[in-house]
Amino acid sequence: MGIMASLLSFGVTGVNGYKVHVEVFGTESMPGIEIIGLPDASVKESKDRVNAAIINSGKQMNPRRITINLAPADTKKEGPSFDLPIAIGMMIADGVLTPCPPVDMNSVALFGELSLDGSVQPINGALPMVISAKENGISTVILPDKNACEVSCIQDIRILPVSHLRQVIAWYEGKADLKAQEQVTFEALKNEAVPAVDMAQIKGQRGARRAVEVAAAGGHNMLMIGVPGSGKTMLARCIPGILPPMTFEESLETTRIHSICGKLQAGKGLMVTRPFCAPHHNASVASLIGGGQDARPGEVSLAHNGVLFLDELPEFSRGALEALRQPLEDGIVSVARVRRQAQYQSSFMLVAAMNPCPCGFYGSNRRTCRCTPPEIRRYLDRVSGPLLDRIDLQIEVDSVPISEINDSEPSESSAVVAARVRKAREIQLKRYEGTGKYCNAQLTNAEVKQFCTPDAEGSALLNAAVDSLHLSMRAYQRILKVARTIADLAGEETISSAHIAEAVQYRELDQKYWR
Amino acid sequence: MSEYGYEFDAWLASACMPAVTVRSLLNEYGTSEACHEAVRRNEDRLKELISQRFYQLLYDTGTKENLDKHKKTMNKHGIRTLLFSEPGFPTSLHEIHDPPAILFVQGNIACIKDRSLAIVGSRAASYAGQKATVKLAEDLGRHGVTVISGLACGIDAAAHRGCLNGKGMTIAVVGNGLDRVYPADNRGLHDDILDNGGLIVSEYAPGEKALGWHFPVRNRIIVGLSQALILMEARIRSGSMTSVNHALEQGKDVFVYPGDPSSDSFEGNHQLLREGGVYFTSANDILEDLHWLDNPSAVRQNSECVQGYKPSTPEEETLIKALKPGALSFEQLISCTEMNPSVLMSTLTILQIRGIIEALPGKQYQLKH
Repeated sequence: MGIMASLLSFGVTGVNGYKVHVEVFGTESMPGIEIIGLPDASVKESKDRVNAAIINSGKQMNPRRITINLAPADTKKEGPSFDLPIAIGMMIADGVLTPCPPVDMNSVALFGELSLDGSVQPINGALPMVISAKENGISTVILPDKNACEVSCIQDIRILPVSHLRQVIAWYEGKADLKAQEQVTFEALKNEAVPAVDMAQIKGQRGARRAVEVAAAGGHNMLMIGVPGSGKTMLARCIPGILPPMTFEESLETTRIHSICGKLQAGKGLMVTRPFCAPHHNASVASLIGGGQDARPGEVSLAHNGVLFLDELPEFSRGALEALRQPLEDGIVSVARVRRQAQYQSSFMLVAAMNPCPCGFYGSNRRTCRCTPPEIRRYLDRVSGPLLDRIDLQIEVDSVPISEINDSEPSESSAVVAARVRKAREIQLKRYEGTGKYCNAQLTNAEVKQFCTPDAEGSALLNAAVDSLHLSMRAYQRILKVARTIADLAGEETISSAHIAEAVQYRELDQKYWR
Repeated sequence: MSEYGYEFDAWLASACMPAVTVRSLLNEYGTSEACHEAVRRNEDRLKELISQRFYQLLYDTGTKENLDKHKKTMNKHGIRTLLFSEPGFPTSLHEIHDPPAILFVQGNIACIKDRSLAIVGSRAASYAGQKATVKLAEDLGRHGVTVISGLACGIDAAAHRGCLNGKGMTIAVVGNGLDRVYPADNRGLHDDILDNGGLIVSEYAPGEKALGWHFPVRNRIIVGLSQALILMEARIRSGSMTSVNHALEQGKDVFVYPGDPSSDSFEGNHQLLREGGVYFTSANDILEDLHWLDNPSAVRQNSECVQGYKPSTPEEETLIKALKPGALSFEQLISCTEMNPSVLMSTLTILQIRGIIEALPGKQYQLKH
């Protein structure tokens, strides 16, 4: 006769957690440990870590044959998060640990990696696991203390953070209590948020600052062209700080993705600042979109609800740029790989920066450009029309003279700009209530017609601009959307000629560069 | 115009013999077809005129298939030839040293006339240089002057484009066979020249590639076809300076545009001005110097539009005033007008649409002249 133990744990597939039953069966037979239920290498190695951890926690195992089954048996299990339930299960099945008073195994879930000395190490994906545990009606979760912060905003579930296997054993034996994690409200977290770069640090650049504000207010994608060192990157880094603060749902979505990638900052709870992802321009398609054997999320998903910043846009491979089109369009990306298919949310604001020519000084009055016209054209042509089509604002950023950097009055801070942006977003939220849209950038051409009709003077001006500045039909739609945002920023319901005229300035590159 | 097939001319030119050799052959035999006959018959007189190597080359390429191929290409592209010995050959080219023996032409031969001026300058020209060139060529074209240039990028393209804008006639002298367009970027311009009664000229047979050494050589034809040379923008060591040297050898006036002295790309202009190049600022100056001005008010007129504009708002007035001294960047405009960025942007758009100001690369703005 053997002893059987059954515990609950959780695994992650895509961005969702799923329930895993860890069943351990010990018999008097040839000693050995067998793990079944499609474990990967890191799960298989678990038995060696667990053995050492148990001994270092002061328990001595008897020589037995132990079979560990991870059910459902047809899903691949990966990662070291099952170490903790396996350790407890083995001790129960071996008879060295007797839960007292008996623990309801169906209401407690546990996960965590063990190191050889018995300490409990953090794992990736704790947030989706706890969310899934709550959905499965589990009342108590034991998890590594270093993962406790990221789940501290989840209500109505008892979180017991642990740092050593010994604590878990003591809890099961009823000898010691575990201190539950204090719940933190999302509102409290939000107050701690500080922007990475404050707009006040940017000197001069009043034109570009205004463009950034308009882009943030309407959620418009944006392209900046300027000579090296003109401050494009710094402007981009300001954007997360002036976008409206994340809602609880948005924060959950984004934190989930960061959690399964192990990209959360230690000691921080749910993400309250919008993510800012700046992949290097040699990024592969898989690293941008997501991929790998297990269909991991890519940069576009890490930037979900935040900003994806592509510096040196033409240097990105053609394939990588073209692959951005689906996530830009749908806000979601499907990654299909041999072992797994997954869909990740990827609704981000694209901010791109580039030089005007290969040497970087075309149009600059400080240095002479040494590029030939065909070189410049080839460089610009690397950015395809369909991608440009999805970028509403295109601006030129001029470098700021030294004198301006040293002695100008302090610029407006992010907080002031963010307040205006939030007001404009509220107007948009109200206008698009029930349509599933929340900002001007998401409007389709039909909706542009419905919501963005300028007054008579405005449309006359727009028609004149299309004629005299040779703007395309594509630019026409973009101008209307951006003009809608400019009107929203001004708090006006009708789009007037002044709004149109300003919006036209943000399409200037169409005529100058891509004619 | 020769009445026999142009394919013999193409055959003779495609051997790439020095122009002087071809001229002596044509002097001896009269036509390319007669030369072909002589090569077939291996006449003794030939041996005195051309080397064994060229004889062999002409003999090998003088096959029926080859001639048919030339005929086909020339028919397809509408290429004709002018022999130096024929009456239709431009008289001004007879006066230069080493005139081309055979000219391949495409388009309207009536472009070749007395009132023609060559415009040359850098391929990597500054925005200001190109602007000035378009304006100058436009005025010259409007005044009935044929503008001659080399169909290269930069100043050349600006010169052709400007002349077409002014509904004038323009001639492009190229350094490759007329069945191809070099640089490929200028194909649109090339087609526009042909569609608008212009002429494309080359001394190279159809099928010849644009080799580096062709360009300085074709410059003598650009200069040779024209009455005077206008240098728009050049560094001291540049291809445009070879054109200037051709002009000086041929005893023609050189007009030099006084570009921005602080910019390297005009260094050649300023050196020439110091050495006695003719200073000019507008088409009017050149026409006056050449005594080609029948009606002195004709040219000046079209530059008056900006001055006559009545600003409709105080912002427009401030902006126009700020831009009077020259181009400014957006940031500089904010500083000197103290306008709110969004107001400034809309004012700029409105003035741009009305054609009062124009936007330059690098977020610079200037008044249109």
